Amino acid sequence: MPNPYIPYITKVKSIISENKVNDIKTIELEFKNEEDYKKFDYVPGQFAEISLIGKGECPIGIASSPTEEGTIKFTIKKMGTVTSGFHNCEEGDIVGVRGPYGNGWPVEEMKGKNIVVIGGGFAFSTLRSLVIYLLDEKNRKDYSNITVIYGNRDPGEVLYQEILEEWKKRDDIKVVLTIDREAEGWTEEVGFVAPIVKKVGPSSDNAVAVICGPPIMIKTTIAVMEELNWGPEAILNSLEARMKCGIGKCGRCNIGNKFICTDGPVFSLAELKELPDEY
Amino acid sequence: MDQKRLKKDQIGKLYNELVGEYDFYAPINKKGNIAFEKIENPEDIVLDYLNSKIPPKSVLFPQNEVLFEYTLDEKDVEITDRQDLEQKILIFGIRPCDAYSFELFANFFSFHGDWKDDIYLKKKENTTLIGIGCNTPKTTCFCTSVNGNPFKKDNMDVFLTDLGDTYLVEGISDKGKGMVQKLSWLSDASKDDLKKAEELAKIAEESITTKIDVDTVVKNLETCFEHPVWDEISESCIGCGSCAYLCPTCTCFDVIDETDHYNNRGRRIRIWDTCQSCLYTLETSGHNPRDTKIQRCRNRIMHKFSYYPTNYDLLGCVGCGRCVYVCPANNDLRVILDKINKIEEKEDEKVVA
Repeated sequence: MPNPYIPYITKVKSIISENKVNDIKTIELEFKNEEDYKKFDYVPGQFAEISLIGKGECPIGIASSPTEEGTIKFTIKKMGTVTSGFHNCEEGDIVGVRGPYGNGWPVEEMKGKNIVVIGGGFAFSTLRSLVIYLLDEKNRKDYSNITVIYGNRDPGEVLYQEILEEWKKRDDIKVVLTIDREAEGWTEEVGFVAPIVKKVGPSSDNAVAVICGPPIMIKTTIAVMEELNWGPEAILNSLEARMKCGIGKCGRCNIGNKFICTDGPVFSLAELKELPDEY
Repeated sequence: MDQKRLKKDQIGKLYNELVGEYDFYAPINKKGNIAFEKIENPEDIVLDYLNSKIPPKSVLFPQNEVLFEYTLDEKDVEITDRQDLEQKILIFGIRPCDAYSFELFANFFSFHGDWKDDIYLKKKENTTLIGIGCNTPKTTCFCTSVNGNPFKKDNMDVFLTDLGDTYLVEGISDKGKGMVQKLSWLSDASKDDLKKAEELAKIAEESITTKIDVDTVVKNLETCFEHPVWDEISESCIGCGSCAYLCPTCTCFDVIDETDHYNNRGRRIRIWDTCQSCLYTLETSGHNPRDTKIQRCRNRIMHKFSYYPTNYDLLGCVGCGRCVYVCPANNDLRVILDKINKIEEKEDEKVVA
């Protein structure tokens, strides 16, 4: 067994700003060794421990889809030492990557079902990965209707705008965008995610809902979903925690006897109801 | 014959014979406290101690441990893996509770399928334990309540019993038996020696008077997550984390990069951490899943007596009593467990009243 704490070496291929205030960037990484890239075999919803060697390491959800071959992407909000370091990266800079870790979205079990993707704010990154995966020409036939409901505070905060435009042009996916308050030039929905979900009213029939966002959005949205007769097994959440190792050793991401890093980060609402409220 | 005798004045000879092959760790007196350290002089070894302040987990899982080293170039990084993991380690004079904790560590660090902690496991594989029974357990010891015993030999390679001026030496594992055989100068033990060792073991076991019904603790913890008993348990805690740092089964760690910017090199290290610290779970966003003392105290107890049994079918406590005697607020684990045990009784009383 190799030392599990040694990262793969990657290089920054591109780095782009995702929002108007410029505190969220997407960084695209290319593996130094082709062999390492082959070993980094992931599904949407998994995460990695990425590091600036010499500054530190942090767990970030993988924003790219395995169908986007050649590179991997992470969308990072500038918060502390390490994430600020990523924001200052330039093309060619070295980034350490360990992973992929966690269970990811259950894309196999989701086959044959209607998929409802509900996201709020910056938490959309692993949902980007999921939707791109579902829409890939090899996979699209395996899933029924796809609905995306994505909310933000204001238009300047909407991530992945080019991709959203592409999705809106397709007829095999329904995209609903909303912002909290009215803004000039905004022609789509206005309101918090939960009431918009109620308005869209996705049917629970043969369906799976994937919800990612700030805790208050998740809470209010789940209440709406329950009103719409969604069962707890059909609602999936992705959790996060202050992880250090990503492999069930450092101890800090436990909720009861489960570890978010190895048992999650994706849990169904039914699973979460069995666990203590410590997440 | 597998049982031998080692005269107390022969420890130096034993050390000299083994030190070429092994890094030799033993308990020494360090500023008034017993600690397990790599020794260079066998005369430093102290065996008539009750238990070390810092558990010997620090030998295989040091408080600060290098995960890998790196050198930084303008546009490149070179990573160097640990080169010292094949070194053979011998831990001399370890107590049964601590030897058992090594098994719990190895079990935990190998648990998650693909993701084993190879750094710890490799060191464990290359480690030989020459342990010693506890003739006079401390008043804080309660190993007999948590599947242990002051003369538990299962987790040792070689087991010593202090018979006064000599030690009875027994090879336990195959590795230990081989080692005892190699030490051909050891004389055979007599029947009297064996009888005396048995008597000492019996006296030691009987001297541990603390008896905790841990089965009931485990059972009650399944249903008492929201119980007010946690207010009572956490009330006197000052959150210093000593209980966890000195616990031989606590494995949690932080990871940081330590960089020498003048020489463009550094190392990524892990450092003991504790769930008793409020910063432990604090997320970058400001959200903290366990931001109250009640939650943190509860997590420590639940981890050892509920999550551990659920996940691994083992208790996460070896009964060494370190957390009892280091707690500056006198928050005694034995009392905590007793309170949890009495939860149901109290509720019954309420119903009657």
